[in-house]
Amino acid sequence: MRRYLRLVRIFVGATLSAQLEYRANFLGAVLASLGEVGVALLGISVLFGQPGVTQVGGWSFREALLVTGFFMLTEGVISVFIQPNMSKIAEAVRTGNMDFTLLKPIDAQFNVSTRNLNVLRFPDLLIGLGLIGYAASGLEVTSGGALAAAVLYGSAVVIVYCIYLGLSTTAFWFVKTQNVTELFSGVFGAARFPVAAFPVPVRFVLTFVLPVAFITTVPAQALTGALGGGLALASPLIAAALFLGTRLFWRYAVASYTSASS
Amino acid sequence: MAEYRAEVVIWMLSGTLSLVMMLVWMAQAAAAPGGQIRGYSAPEFATYFLSTWLVSQLLVVWVSHELDFQIRQGTLSPQLLRPVDPMWLHVASHVAERLVRIVPLLVMVGVFTWLSGASFTREWWAYPAALGLAALGFSVRFLYEYAIGLLAFWTESSASFQEVVWLVYAALGGMFAPLAFYPEWVQRVAVWTPFPYMLGLPAQLLAGKATLAQAGRGALVLLVWLAVFWVVRLIVWRVGLRKYGAVGA
Repeated sequence: MRRYLRLVRIFVGATLSAQLEYRANFLGAVLASLGEVGVALLGISVLFGQPGVTQVGGWSFREALLVTGFFMLTEGVISVFIQPNMSKIAEAVRTGNMDFTLLKPIDAQFNVSTRNLNVLRFPDLLIGLGLIGYAASGLEVTSGGALAAAVLYGSAVVIVYCIYLGLSTTAFWFVKTQNVTELFSGVFGAARFPVAAFPVPVRFVLTFVLPVAFITTVPAQALTGALGGGLALASPLIAAALFLGTRLFWRYAVASYTSASS
Repeated sequence: MAEYRAEVVIWMLSGTLSLVMMLVWMAQAAAAPGGQIRGYSAPEFATYFLSTWLVSQLLVVWVSHELDFQIRQGTLSPQLLRPVDPMWLHVASHVAERLVRIVPLLVMVGVFTWLSGASFTREWWAYPAALGLAALGFSVRFLYEYAIGLLAFWTESSASFQEVVWLVYAALGGMFAPLAFYPEWVQRVAVWTPFPYMLGLPAQLLAGKATLAQAGRGALVLLVWLAVFWVVRLIVWRVGLRKYGAVGA
């Protein structure tokens, strides 16, 4: 455990110094962050800007903004921690670099999941937290609600990580997987609105087939105290099941890996 | 292009923003008193957003990504030795992709139409008019995206510029809602840009909510912008090439 924490520190240091070399990229990253928060806010403000609309699917503007905040935060988590690592798996399989990763005396899944970091998108995390803070300041939030939201958001991050890892692991067979993760981000776009804003059959799909609802809507509900016990329990259970499933899938993929040259 | 059929379908499905907005607005209209918001009922929202989705699929341009890559990797150099402007290679691949895309696209629109209860216009002239506007819109978008891609000669952030421009295109084009739903000052700005005429207007034509006269006016605006971006692209290309040579790449 100690060793792994030390490794994380070394990885972070290495990526930091590699990325700060290109200062011009910083401007681009800021532009991209602003673009994303712009899309998110525009979608919800046009929706609430119509005459006579005060609620969307039973959610007030503040509450819906909370969901947008969690959405931005998750976009940040994906672009800072998850995407930079996962996009490299396919490349490593294609070029044969995966051999070196598998030979190292540390857990390979840990290595491919933590090696890289995109610090430049760090502002996304701050924007997301800022939006959540702003929206929550106009709502009644208990400390118990905040704690529950934090825990449930933790399992939301695990769910996102597992979906990404599962999709990227298919690279061991299909090599080109960038498209598949793109497909997930398309579906994930639905998470910028509370699931209650969708027609009933779609709501069902977003909750039980593709667990998008657990990523943004459920933590927001926990924060406002509107969450039922069933969904609160389901979120960590789904996260645990997904983690176990992707772990087994990863092991299976590594076992059937035959290197690029053979 | 036909080699990458699966990829083409996945890319089509990943452009889901208008579909997400469609579902949200349909639920909103169904819940509203009278079943309407600003005169749009749920099936009318479905028609509008499916139309924007269809048109936006025809307008897809990825040339700035490719230029970014080519300039950084230096694969642009061999293309410069040929007697044609490399732009035409990109035009050809974009047009070819559209031909591959059209059949699965129409199938998907058919399925979504059946699921959502959308109904497109019965006026025959709306279809060639919308197609013409989409073709003009594609040309405009291609040229400005090309100019943005060429920024890679100077900066590594051209991809982020492209993202921000995409936001403006999606917003003013009417991907979040029909343009009439936006605040008035936004609408007043939007009419001076090419975006409402390349995305929202052809979609409104397909939905039977725009006239032929509006289509004509939109086409004129797009032609003016086409000329502007043609010149801009040419200038950026000439100046950029000098810079590219100067590095010795």
